[in-house]
Amino acid sequence: MFFRMIRGAFSHQWKKMIMIALTIALGASIATAMINVMLGVGDKVNQELKTYGANITVVPKSSSVLSDLYSMEEGEADTDAYLKESEIGNIKTIFWAFNIVDFTPFIDTNVKLPSGNDVKLKGTWFNHHLELATGETLDTGIRNLRTWWDISEGEWIDEQKESGDLKKVMVGKGLAQKQGISAGDTLKLAGKKGSEELQVTGIYEAGGDEDDEIFAPVETVQKLSGTEGFVSSIEVSALTTPDNELAEQAARDPSSLTIAQYELWYCTAYVSSICYQIQEVITDSVAKPVRQVADSEGAILEKTQLLMILITILSLVGSGLGITNLVTASVMERSKEIGLLKAVGAKDGSISALVLTEVIITGIAGAVAGYFAGFGFAQIIGHSVFGSSIEMKGFVIPIVGVLVIAVTIIGSIPAIRMLLRLQPAEVLHGR
Amino acid sequence: MTKRKMYFRMITASLSRRRSRMLVALLAVAVGATILSGLVTIYYDVPRQMGAQFRNYGANMVFISSGADEKLEMKDVEEGVSFIDSKSLVGVAPYKYETVRIHEQPIVAAGTDITQAKATSPYWKVNGKWPEITGDVLVGKAVAEKLNLSGGDSVNVTYSEGEDENVDDLNLGFDMKVSGILETGGSEEDYIYMSMEDMEGLAGEGSLDVVELSISASRDELKKYEEVISSNVSAIEPRLVKRVTQSESTVLTKLQGLVFLVTAVVLVLTMICVTTTMTAVVTERRKEIGLRKALGASDKSIIREFMGEGLLLGGIGGAIGVVLGYLFAQFVSMNVFAGSISFVPLMIPITIGISVLVTGLACILPVRSATDIDPAIVLKGE
Repeated sequence: MFFRMIRGAFSHQWKKMIMIALTIALGASIATAMINVMLGVGDKVNQELKTYGANITVVPKSSSVLSDLYSMEEGEADTDAYLKESEIGNIKTIFWAFNIVDFTPFIDTNVKLPSGNDVKLKGTWFNHHLELATGETLDTGIRNLRTWWDISEGEWIDEQKESGDLKKVMVGKGLAQKQGISAGDTLKLAGKKGSEELQVTGIYEAGGDEDDEIFAPVETVQKLSGTEGFVSSIEVSALTTPDNELAEQAARDPSSLTIAQYELWYCTAYVSSICYQIQEVITDSVAKPVRQVADSEGAILEKTQLLMILITILSLVGSGLGITNLVTASVMERSKEIGLLKAVGAKDGSISALVLTEVIITGIAGAVAGYFAGFGFAQIIGHSVFGSSIEMKGFVIPIVGVLVIAVTIIGSIPAIRMLLRLQPAEVLHGR
Repeated sequence: MTKRKMYFRMITASLSRRRSRMLVALLAVAVGATILSGLVTIYYDVPRQMGAQFRNYGANMVFISSGADEKLEMKDVEEGVSFIDSKSLVGVAPYKYETVRIHEQPIVAAGTDITQAKATSPYWKVNGKWPEITGDVLVGKAVAEKLNLSGGDSVNVTYSEGEDENVDDLNLGFDMKVSGILETGGSEEDYIYMSMEDMEGLAGEGSLDVVELSISASRDELKKYEEVISSNVSAIEPRLVKRVTQSESTVLTKLQGLVFLVTAVVLVLTMICVTTTMTAVVTERRKEIGLRKALGASDKSIIREFMGEGLLLGGIGGAIGVVLGYLFAQFVSMNVFAGSISFVPLMIPITIGISVLVTGLACILPVRSATDIDPAIVLKGE
């Protein structure tokens, strides 16, 4: 009988039921879309912030950090300490390897142009193909770490197009203008260990000191300066978690942590723990966060996430109230039916059960439809803003389900109680 | 006059007598209006607030001397800065670099305005204190390690023009106090920083090497400033720090897009939600409409009355929403950006207007369908 009544309600009042289901579906889709976007926004914004370039630099342990100073003084950078080029790939084998987005080595030397001027020549990877000991392969290099460079003439050096000795360089715009160099020219550079004829593939505009420098593949620079197999620094771009107190304490001295704290720190993608892990795999190295990038990244990420959390809460409260409201309105509307049921002797408990079951069945139907609509909205936001899909977290389904059921029950109970208190005769008479 | 009074009375009486249902409808409108005004206010203000956050990345424009013979002086800088909107200016830090000697070691020292340097480079981390008085010096971490200095130490800083060893004896230099150690992870760690007065006392007055500016403005605005300043002040060559400006516009555009889309999706869904609730409340009154028609009321007067009720509800709900939405936006701004949000007066008519429109639209459809039907059928029940 109970089921028959419910079936009857659905077949006779399908218009009203659809209205309720539609509202619940709208609320559920807001909840689904917002929770998923909120959870995914951290990763997405983190990826976007990678356009600022490296957030970690790795340098040799011994005093070579001062090479900058000496070069200012004497115009000659000469330090004994280098990092081994063969170890660079190890960066991609640390605990947080998955969070390492890009990295590239640098080796500097001073060379003489044919005109007699001294310029800084930097060796680096452009789009280097790397095969790791683990069997993985990846392409990495400076192209992704200098997103703000404009190639005003020519093109990037392509390391993969032809193998072997690349006799190519890229010249900064400032230097190119001063020396009258353009793409396609051949440049003779004289280093400490001989000289090379190199072809200029492109002129870049960096908007900084790099505009007065020349970039070439690592091997070329190593040959010119006689440092085969060595590099002087590595820039690493990594996805990190904003620092907290634990991370700051660990950055000062990891040995001051308790074992539990150490585990937590080591297994969280703080910039300090990634630095620590890089130092473990590269001999005699110091990895330090570039505060300009690392700090600002943390601040912006935190703000964006907090903003999204608050907007999500507002929309959840809004959609929750919306659903409650409609359910209350539609239950109250049925005062006459409930009065009749009471008049023919139905118990309060069975009337409540009947109304609640109806509403919950409608709610579940609406919630399922709403979940898929919300999935669609989240993907629209993901694709149009970040150009990639937003990962749908499985645990959002029970959250939305519980939310919808709780909200529908909360919405119907006060209305049902109010109706049960009414006298059947009064209701049937029409107030 | 009396007719209008009667009309008004009918509307208010209907609202007050059917209190519980009207409360439901009012709540729906108010919630919708709150979301509308809250989200739109945030959407308006977020670019400004987020832009301020991006100033964390440091200077986005530098002034350098426009030629070898031109001297960059503080008065030129002031002239250049006068072209920039003072409200969007975060900091202007002049730098003058000289090589000094500490323990006979050559070190690059920078003279600057410390408070301005703090504003243009918020990411500088100082272990110890920032220099507060003249005679204090901020030492880069790498220098501190090399010379084994720590906060509170006193160092003798000497300067000699031309790097001539013999002249050194003549210049006794200054005794300065290390106030703190600077950590940045960049080349700043290789320098020491002191106040401009100390620098001039040490190396004499001279031109500035570079001026760093942090301006809270979009890339296009910055480009405009760059043009205006370079054409008006001959001594200055302004340059944008491409890494900061370009990356900022990339990321900020994405963030704005995100807030825009989220606002749009939530708003559309909320408005539909309000409409369905209003429709449900009005549909319930089909019988009443039938009765009035049977008593001889014209369709027009019924619609007018229902619209009046809807508009009144929409107006009240919208007004509540304006207040609550502003409070919400203020709460968000305080918590996320630690700053007050600017009130957009335009939001008052927009919020109330849209709530009235949505409620009116939600009322008219069910009323229309009820008036179209023969009153006898409606009164009988379906």
